[in-house]
Amino acid sequence: MTKQITIPLYEDLLNGFNNTSIHGENETIQEARRNGFESFKRLGFPTRKNEDWKYTGITPFLQEQYHINGIAKEAEISAALINQASIPSLDSYRLVLLNGQLQTPIDTLPDFIRVKSIREAKENVDLVKYFGKNTDVNSFHFAALNTALFSNGLFLEIDAKAILDKPLHIVHAFTATGNLFIQPRHLIVVHSNASLSVIETVVSENPLSKIFVNSLTEVVVEENACFDHYVMQIAQIGTRLVHQTDVSQKRHSVYSNYTFSMPKADLIRNNLHVSLDDDQTETHLYGLYLGEGQQLIDNHSFINHKRPNCNSNEIYKGVLLDKAVGVFNGKVFVQPDAQKTNAFQQNNNLLLSNKATINTKPQLEIFADDVKCSHGATVGQLSKDAMFYLRSRGIGEEAARALLVNAFAFDVTEKIKIPALEQHVNHLIAQHIPVNKN
Amino acid sequence: METNDQIIQDITSQEYEFGFITDIEMDRAPVGLNEDTIRFISQKKNEPEWMLNWRLKGYEAFLRQDMPIWQNFKLPHINLQGISYYAAPKTKKKFNSLDEIDPELLATFEKLGIPLNEQKALSGVAVDAVFDSISVATTYKEKLSELGIIFCSFGEAVQEHPELVRKYVGSVVPHSDNIFASLNTAVFSDGSFVYIPKGVRCPMELSTYFRINAENTGQFERTLIIADEGSYVSYLEGCTAPMRDENQLHAAVVELIALEGAEIKYSTVQNWYPGDKEGRGGIYNFVTKRGVCRGANSKISWTQVETGSAITWKYPGVILQGDNSVGEFYSIAVTKNKQIADTGTKMFHIGRNTKSRIISKGISAGHSNNSYRGLVQVGPKAENARNFTQCDSLLLGSECSANTFPYIETKNNTAMVEHEATTSKIGEDQIFYLNQRGINTEKAVALIVNGYVKEVLNQLPMEFAVEAQKLLSITLEGSVG
Repeated sequence: MTKQITIPLYEDLLNGFNNTSIHGENETIQEARRNGFESFKRLGFPTRKNEDWKYTGITPFLQEQYHINGIAKEAEISAALINQASIPSLDSYRLVLLNGQLQTPIDTLPDFIRVKSIREAKENVDLVKYFGKNTDVNSFHFAALNTALFSNGLFLEIDAKAILDKPLHIVHAFTATGNLFIQPRHLIVVHSNASLSVIETVVSENPLSKIFVNSLTEVVVEENACFDHYVMQIAQIGTRLVHQTDVSQKRHSVYSNYTFSMPKADLIRNNLHVSLDDDQTETHLYGLYLGEGQQLIDNHSFINHKRPNCNSNEIYKGVLLDKAVGVFNGKVFVQPDAQKTNAFQQNNNLLLSNKATINTKPQLEIFADDVKCSHGATVGQLSKDAMFYLRSRGIGEEAARALLVNAFAFDVTEKIKIPALEQHVNHLIAQHIPVNKN
Repeated sequence: METNDQIIQDITSQEYEFGFITDIEMDRAPVGLNEDTIRFISQKKNEPEWMLNWRLKGYEAFLRQDMPIWQNFKLPHINLQGISYYAAPKTKKKFNSLDEIDPELLATFEKLGIPLNEQKALSGVAVDAVFDSISVATTYKEKLSELGIIFCSFGEAVQEHPELVRKYVGSVVPHSDNIFASLNTAVFSDGSFVYIPKGVRCPMELSTYFRINAENTGQFERTLIIADEGSYVSYLEGCTAPMRDENQLHAAVVELIALEGAEIKYSTVQNWYPGDKEGRGGIYNFVTKRGVCRGANSKISWTQVETGSAITWKYPGVILQGDNSVGEFYSIAVTKNKQIADTGTKMFHIGRNTKSRIISKGISAGHSNNSYRGLVQVGPKAENARNFTQCDSLLLGSECSANTFPYIETKNNTAMVEHEATTSKIGEDQIFYLNQRGINTEKAVALIVNGYVKEVLNQLPMEFAVEAQKLLSITLEGSVG
């Protein structure tokens, strides 16, 4: 067993659990909390000795005295904060969560889609059925901690055969007056034959206080269902994000995840786990990370092919400026049963500063023979020829650079199915590139 | 597909062809490891005091370290106290010609298909035959010494060229590098030493055949190759071992040093006893191999064909220190039955304009587990570093596994690093295409496998390529016709 790091926060969290009242919660959830707690007590916080955290030292981010007790009550949501999350000319339904707490009133949604805070929905059949089922609390430190001590979050479900006409925009806003350690928990269930598109935007204010968000989203995509899942992370300096997504896919389902990690937040660590639980599923994972300043962006993905005839496709692109550090670890696991698997994985990185660092590790573990699996990883810089071509045609250096970075990101951005969002992402990229010269 | 299943069945059930035990008297150290063992070995070999002290330093480092846990297989318990750390053939006299060598020993080589006499006469290969840790025959020595090339056993080098050994030994793989390297430092018995003087191009391939013979004797080789400025050497290493039931540990260390403008080509064909069908017995091959391109414009190239051993666990690496230096790694790893291979390379780009190229081909069959693990590291000063990595895996059978763990760490924005990997089985359309043209399935598979590994085989020196091809065909017999 790896050594635990002993920091005051660890003790605080252990005490925190003893003070949390779990009475009145559903028995399944109580049980999950207890398991998670036992597991976290054993695991503690990860150290760099742990293979999954080799390049991401979490300890410096845990030194502050965090306020950990459940839900922060008096926080007020400011218009400025909501504005950060807004996507120009996007036609969508909108939900706002402040520090993990669902804000009322909510937009009127069609009947076939239900939104509740996870605490209110405690007796919901599907919540009980799916809660904690896809989360391995025994090996993931933060997942265990979240399961034990999650404060609140969202329960979202869409009925079978229903199709939501426009995307659902969920704004996760975080704000605090002191240092805050907050753990939201969400569960999204897409019932059979349904189709749903969700944009989650994470924003935070830029106070002097540090906000540590350890969030966990469970997603269930049932038979023949289709779920487009967009995650925009545009949090501010001082915010540390550890975000885990556990997805379970049933027969013939299609799940697409688009993760955009934008500059500023001190730390972004994404754990994206997709479990292909049945035959003939399709999975697309697209990611773009743009690191700036001293930022550390770490994307870990794990696609678990359990059954035959499944396709998975992963493309992650990284652009690193200043002293930013990028980490990519993509694991494709093909179980002995998963014959006829088709898995593709690609990670490209652009280093735009000589102080930036990238650590990438695409990984294949294959236990079936009739498969087609491949991966590729590259690290490079903007081509001098391309730059010269543009400059010789009268395009300024900054504009040329922005153009080339946009082109680099194109493989990912072109996959976005919502035009307004695509425009917005391109705009965000362009915004950050010209400012930086080497 | 029934024939294919049959073929797979055949590979899985292949027994080791080169298993036999030669009966030669041994002079061995008492079983167990402690400071006295190390003093015993050092004394036996009549070593100077600095060598003994260095061994003891290695032993201290060994005691400080735990067994690694990061590897992709379950490390069997190895009783390091149950091994005798020194075994040498009793005959100590030096030979002038091959005729004086124990005929039984010569017969052993004969059985392996590597007759020394023939090789001497036909191929012009100088062979430093290592028979259970001690070098007993060195051919072509005179011819080499005319050019100033030193090619001798490690023990001899310690006696005759202590200044060279002292300067370079442990400079690439330090005594505390990893637990097996530390163990090797403490107890290494013998090995090979090569020094190529300035501007000399070694006129022949240098070769050492390793063989583990004494029962319960771990083999701890130490190889040190130094290529001085502007020189060139190609070194071959080939291994076979007799069949036995108890697991044997092999923890060798190989150090290569290329000075300015020098080139070292190091080729390995490894075919140690892989254990029986159930995975019993077999050699644990835990080797630390590393080269350093110390001077500008130098080049180190590793080529390996790994077909044997119960567990093969090694990462031949290159430290690209000099500007414009080049590192290469070509590998074929074949695993069947319950064999395990966790192998790959490490390329450290430190100097400017350094280049590295990695080609790894894995073939897994039966219940085996074949992993590629590689590290490409580009330091902040490695301007314009360039790496290309390709690792392909071929799966024969549905119960084996193929894994890829490439680590890429880049701290320089002028570096270009590329990695690609594929995993697949032999395409039915490929076999169909060949069948259609009148080539039967067995031959088709042979053709495809041959084509698949060709890129690596081409890197081997002529003499070795033949043996490697032979080995591959024996290993995959049944599937390659």
